Amino acid sequence: MVKPRFLGRADTFMDDLLNDFLAETAEILAEAGGAIIAWEADPADRAQLDAIFRLVHTIKGSSGFLALPRVTALSHAAEDALDQVRRGNRQANAALVTGVLGIVDRLSDLCTALGQNGVEPAGDDRDVIGALAEPDSPGDAPFDVAGVPLRRDDDFQAELQSWRSIRVPLPLLDSVMTGVTDIVLARNEFARMLRESGADPSVIASFDRLSDSIAGMRQSVSQMRMQRIDKLFAPLPRIVRDLAQDMGKKIAFQTSGGEVELDREMMENIRDPLIHIVRNAIDHGVESLEDRVAAGKDITATISVSARQSGNQIEIEIRDDGRGLSPDALVAKAIASRAVTASEARALGPKEKLDLIFRPGFSTAAKITAVSGRGVGMDIVKANVEKIGGVVELRNDEGRGLTILLRVPMTLTIISGLMVRAAGQYFAIPRGAVREILLESGDTVRVDRVGGGELATVRGEQYPLLRLEAVLGCERDDSDDADDRALVIVRPGQGQSYALSVAAIHDHEELVIKPAAPMIMATGLYAGTTLPDNGRPVLLLDVQGLLAVAAVDATESGRSHDRMVEAEAQAAAARGAAQLLLFRDVGGRVRGVRLSVIERVEEVPASALFESAGRVQAQIGDDIFAVHTARLPDAQVTQKLLRLHDGHSVLCYPIAEVIDIVRLPDAVQPSAAPGLIAGIVLVGGDPVELIDPFWLMEQYAGGVATPSQREPLCRLADDHDGWGDNFLAPILRNAGYRVASGDEATDEAPDVLLCLTEDDGLCVHAAGEVPVIRLRTTIAAAGPEDETVYRYDRQALLDALRRRVGGERA
Amino acid sequence: MMEKLYLIARIADTRVALRSRAINSVVTVGTPVEVPGAPPHVTGLFALRSRVFTLIDPHVVVGLPAVPVAPGQRVIVVDVAEHGYALLADEIEDVCFIDAPETRVAGKLLPGWARVADAMIEHRGASLLVVDPSHFITLPVLNAA
Repeated sequence: MVKPRFLGRADTFMDDLLNDFLAETAEILAEAGGAIIAWEADPADRAQLDAIFRLVHTIKGSSGFLALPRVTALSHAAEDALDQVRRGNRQANAALVTGVLGIVDRLSDLCTALGQNGVEPAGDDRDVIGALAEPDSPGDAPFDVAGVPLRRDDDFQAELQSWRSIRVPLPLLDSVMTGVTDIVLARNEFARMLRESGADPSVIASFDRLSDSIAGMRQSVSQMRMQRIDKLFAPLPRIVRDLAQDMGKKIAFQTSGGEVELDREMMENIRDPLIHIVRNAIDHGVESLEDRVAAGKDITATISVSARQSGNQIEIEIRDDGRGLSPDALVAKAIASRAVTASEARALGPKEKLDLIFRPGFSTAAKITAVSGRGVGMDIVKANVEKIGGVVELRNDEGRGLTILLRVPMTLTIISGLMVRAAGQYFAIPRGAVREILLESGDTVRVDRVGGGELATVRGEQYPLLRLEAVLGCERDDSDDADDRALVIVRPGQGQSYALSVAAIHDHEELVIKPAAPMIMATGLYAGTTLPDNGRPVLLLDVQGLLAVAAVDATESGRSHDRMVEAEAQAAAARGAAQLLLFRDVGGRVRGVRLSVIERVEEVPASALFESAGRVQAQIGDDIFAVHTARLPDAQVTQKLLRLHDGHSVLCYPIAEVIDIVRLPDAVQPSAAPGLIAGIVLVGGDPVELIDPFWLMEQYAGGVATPSQREPLCRLADDHDGWGDNFLAPILRNAGYRVASGDEATDEAPDVLLCLTEDDGLCVHAAGEVPVIRLRTTIAAAGPEDETVYRYDRQALLDALRRRVGGERA
Repeated sequence: MMEKLYLIARIADTRVALRSRAINSVVTVGTPVEVPGAPPHVTGLFALRSRVFTLIDPHVVVGLPAVPVAPGQRVIVVDVAEHGYALLADEIEDVCFIDAPETRVAGKLLPGWARVADAMIEHRGASLLVVDPSHFITLPVLNAA
């Protein structure tokens, strides 16, 4: 595509002409590319042929006037060849079309150079002109004699039509837009003054008439920035043709909905994503001819691009009937490229598996091809579309095709915004990201303060709660009425949501958005500025950026209820043994801890607790244990203690009473930072803070006298995929074992052997007196005799180790 | 001729000369809209002829404490990289032609001033710093820390 540039020194008449020529030619060339492809598909289509002829002819005419000899020669050659076809002296074939396209490309290059330098560069075009020459009939060209090419009446039709529109420089359009916005602001100011001065009703009536026509004008000016989406589709047929030819695929390409209009800035932003998706469809989506035959499909694949308007959004659908996406292949690919770990991958639902293609650095092609594997991936596509407030959706029909839906707002500059108040000033939130608005004091909302964070529960759904004042680092305004506080449920992107608490909701407005100064954008909090009708600037909040600044994980997975059944069943099985001990702590709060880490509940006399070296300790029997408390509990007769055991040391946690033992709920809302509270779960509708025993033990690990005996040696056998080294070894070392992997030769006999394969025969190390623990990859045990341990069951594994290694560790 | 035209103003408690071609206009502002979370030299936003301008406090840029904006205070409007900014001015003195040549900055300036000053110029028996308004837009790393 040639981008017409307005030359810096465009003061002279000649430069103006040249600029006009470049702008016009760029448009013509884009149109010609599409028309030529359409004509190639149906050479009998006389109308298309005539259209192409006219386009080339126009270029030739204008270039002759501007004395651009190379452009004239090129367009003349193309015109000649096409004219012969029109006269029936030559057949249209692929060679001719390729030749004409070659000329179109050369013309584009020349125009780019012209736009930059102002002069036509020197060069030789015989190569592309020669490619047009008819190979088999060199001599019999009757038009040589004619000398003057005949012009037909229909050549002039296009020229007549061009009278119905004019070319306006974009800066002029923008200044009209600014002017109208000024008028609107002045009108609002004036309206306020009129109301306050108690003006005559007849004055107000005529002012209202003025006001209406201003509103109409603002509407028209916004429409002036709109362009038909045709322009975006124009280069696609050419791309599809060239690519399909390169790859030996047969593709029928269709576009529809070209009359839909879109703001020209939005157009720029989705051009590259669209081209990328179409290239992907040809390269990865459409199968090779043989595969299509084998799959019983039509040998010619279909790719269609269609646009339609729905509300103030535009939907662009790119549909192919290729092989679609295979979730399993995506997962394998993602693991191989280290985008996800194997355990993460297992937890993914079908939709999440598809979404893997949006991960950075992910490429679905088995090998990187010249076409689409150039480091620009779907992650960039998604980022570009989301940058302008759009969404990318996938509709996959495995084996039968993939549809990608781009949904973007109609204009970048005017959006519907929700005005909210916080810290005594107004902020705007893009309406498209707002899912629901609720009064914070309403019946459907429950706000819980847990583990230093806040959680909003709306009709059973949990959302992390962000207070706008806190995120922005402001004080709350005292004059705000607490009853006005509202929750805005925000969905910044797919699979994410949170509740934003604001002092009050103001209203909805159509807002003209302008980018803010770089240092304001750099805060990550704002997406731009806008001037509402009162003339005071308002900042547009970046709903995604707020999350990043607040460092809150807002992903819905894990707290969403619509997760697929199979994933649910799998996850539930994994947690089958996980039970939660609910207790009331000494502060009266209800907390929970995994039952598996509790050795027993002790009740000790208050006198058994003492302070030593700044830490509270408890004497139980002949042993002394650390107690997790800042100070000695108030004088009581007895104190209940939870004895937490990690297989290595014991820590006591004082509690008031044990409440219940329940199944650990599925949804855990994790805490933002590691600490005593691992996260929050709902038990019987009430939030419960989940104690993190790992963190807790870590705090006291140094305080426990380490036994001086040598640490037992664990040998990992048959660790073929590195799982043992990567996953298991750190856990074992934490638990006080030394680890040797199977391949290292050591003199020392291991104390225990961990077999990572289930197959008996393979575990060659299994010999002699060394106890063996076998790990299995499936959750379910093979039978009652099965002594293997599920490899992700940390506690069972450590228990087994402790039993095998024997009494020395007890 | 334009090269010799300077705006004499007092900004950040110092009399300076600003080259007039760097300046868009001088206007008065009302109360700006605050930008929570923005760097300390950003006083706020205000609108002028349907454009939003970012108000900069030069005091903070040269290392002085911020000063509150008085209603009706005059500001120097400049365009930097297609964004509109306004520098809070303590006082606008004059726009005048200065025939004297710009000279190299002599003497040691405070670090804050050394960064924004381009040259010196002699005007009516006083030496003025010639400052580039675009240097006030970005905050030096030292100050931000």
